[in-house]
Amino acid sequence: MSRDRVRLLLACVATLAIVLPLGYLWQQSRMPSTYSVMDMGYLDYGGGSRTGPALHGGQSMAALHPDDATHGTHSVKDLTVGTDRAADKVVDLEARQGTVRLASGRTVDGYTLNGSSPGPLIEVTQGELLEVHLRNANVPDGITLHWHGLDVPNAEDGVAGVTQDAVQRGEKHTYRFVADQAGTYWYHSHQVSHEQVIGGLMGPLVVRPAKPLPQPVDVVALEHTYDAVATVNGTSLFSVVARPGQQVRVRVVNTDNGPTRAWANAPYRVLAVDGHEVNEPTDVTRKGVVVTAGGRVDLGVVAPEDGSGVRIQIGSSTAVVVGPEGVDVKEPATPPTKDDVDLLSYGSPAPVGFDPEQADRSFRYAIGRRPGFVKGLPGLFWTVNGHLFPNIPMYVVHEGDVVKVRISNGSGDVHPMHLHGHHAVVLSRDGVKATGSPWWFDSLNVEDGESYDVAFVADNPGIWMDHCHNLKHANQGLLAHLMYDDVTAPYRVGGESGNEPE
Amino acid sequence: MKTAYRVLAGLTCLLVLVQSAAIAFGTFGIINFVEGGNDYTKAVGEERAADAGGIGQNIHSFGAMAVALVAILLLIVSFFAKIEGGVKWAGIVFVAVLLQWVFAIVAFGAPVVGLLHGVNAFVIFGTAMTAMQKAKASTAAPVEPAAV
Repeated sequence: MSRDRVRLLLACVATLAIVLPLGYLWQQSRMPSTYSVMDMGYLDYGGGSRTGPALHGGQSMAALHPDDATHGTHSVKDLTVGTDRAADKVVDLEARQGTVRLASGRTVDGYTLNGSSPGPLIEVTQGELLEVHLRNANVPDGITLHWHGLDVPNAEDGVAGVTQDAVQRGEKHTYRFVADQAGTYWYHSHQVSHEQVIGGLMGPLVVRPAKPLPQPVDVVALEHTYDAVATVNGTSLFSVVARPGQQVRVRVVNTDNGPTRAWANAPYRVLAVDGHEVNEPTDVTRKGVVVTAGGRVDLGVVAPEDGSGVRIQIGSSTAVVVGPEGVDVKEPATPPTKDDVDLLSYGSPAPVGFDPEQADRSFRYAIGRRPGFVKGLPGLFWTVNGHLFPNIPMYVVHEGDVVKVRISNGSGDVHPMHLHGHHAVVLSRDGVKATGSPWWFDSLNVEDGESYDVAFVADNPGIWMDHCHNLKHANQGLLAHLMYDDVTAPYRVGGESGNEPE
Repeated sequence: MKTAYRVLAGLTCLLVLVQSAAIAFGTFGIINFVEGGNDYTKAVGEERAADAGGIGQNIHSFGAMAVALVAILLLIVSFFAKIEGGVKWAGIVFVAVLLQWVFAIVAFGAPVVGLLHGVNAFVIFGTAMTAMQKAKASTAAPVEPAAV
């Protein structure tokens, strides 16, 4: 063989050594035109019993076993509140794609519900059965509504391709669930959510307890950034009328893709986090409180006796002013240093109702970042336990299990981790045990370098997303699922349904 | 193949220029946004809004992918181009681009590493320029007559 031929052969081998691994990785990352989330990634039993979908295909989307979706005994479709009870409250919502007019007069491209964004405040009393009739007037990609933070039956969770098909133009969909958790929540689309939520297809939802709260003035402060313009309830400064001495509850809802901080120019209390009342909250002065993306924090202030106002900043651009009508607190409250309320030690301990030390399963949700391919596209992506989407864990639980999860973040970015259908309690952060009021959450701000041990009871059967609520990150593959071992999902992502939950 | 090598090496240099220009555009966009009294939050950063330097940042993100692709193509072409030192310099460019990605990933958590990201851009530019010159010299060199 001539020298030239040897050289050519070596060149071809070297080329293949580069192209083949890249081609393999690209091929592995490609998604079928339609698939069930039940077939995603690999089953992770967390050391618990291996029951349920034993024939799961497992290792990659290249080895899908669509028939596996028949092994469970309960269909997601059947996990409803039932039809034998009449609704206590009925709400009609119509979604439109178009322009959103901000309080400043500026218009931005986006979405509205009943003509506005944020959509209307839905208020119900704890224990009432809420029925929402959603109609898609003209949103081409289809829509859904997810009840963020409410642990609704799985069929009502509003995730396209997982718990329902997207509601296409001209179609209607009805959601029915009992609002049995008092607190502050919000609703938003979970179809093409990385575009629709930031575009404004969302609104607040408050479940009031049957027994009146001690705060006679009770308002929502929904934070949303439209095309780089930060707003609270659609404006930059939201006024709340309160008589001197009156207690006021301000329900801060962060609907953005990143965390925000709230602080005030007067003492305040953190009354509730993610819909759960804090046990024995204490006064906070000269400190901020972080509200993670998707998270809610209820703040309590008292209108000053001297007739002046209290200014609650939500980020440096938006604020809520509380006080007599017309009161103005012009100077922004001094931003606190990075010394925030630490929910790990805030408030007083109380029983959580289960023993996390007797966990049936222990999972790991380690977030990293590396270059690679996701959905056939190259880029810099998030990893879960070292793997890129879709070859990430499917966390399998059995109803009644006590589940522990270690969520760690070494990705260089903050991640607001959101588990659907459940509330978990924080046990420790970076090895430091929680000593304050039980820190229940559905959206947890996990900073780069942090590690949280959390626990929950698997008491709501279904298939639940467990993802980053920076919805751009979810679209980049930071999106896993929690699956009960005897539940099947009849819905599929992609295909004719056009389901695209992220 | 020599021409392809030269074009790809030149394209790498050009893309480094685009990358530097784009990130400067993006950074000044952020400064301008903040100086306009706006709050540059994580949410605003994620939105990549045009008013807040988003165009420059988007170009930089896509450019990173383009540089990586061109560096891989340059390496592959170098195997066939028969340029003296061609594989070596394409390999150096490739490693420098790889390092650039590593520096970027680390710098998100440790911003001081961004210094290396900035300096390494010059390394990519310089080595790609050298590679281009090697190809040029190789193209210009008289072809030795075949032995009879």
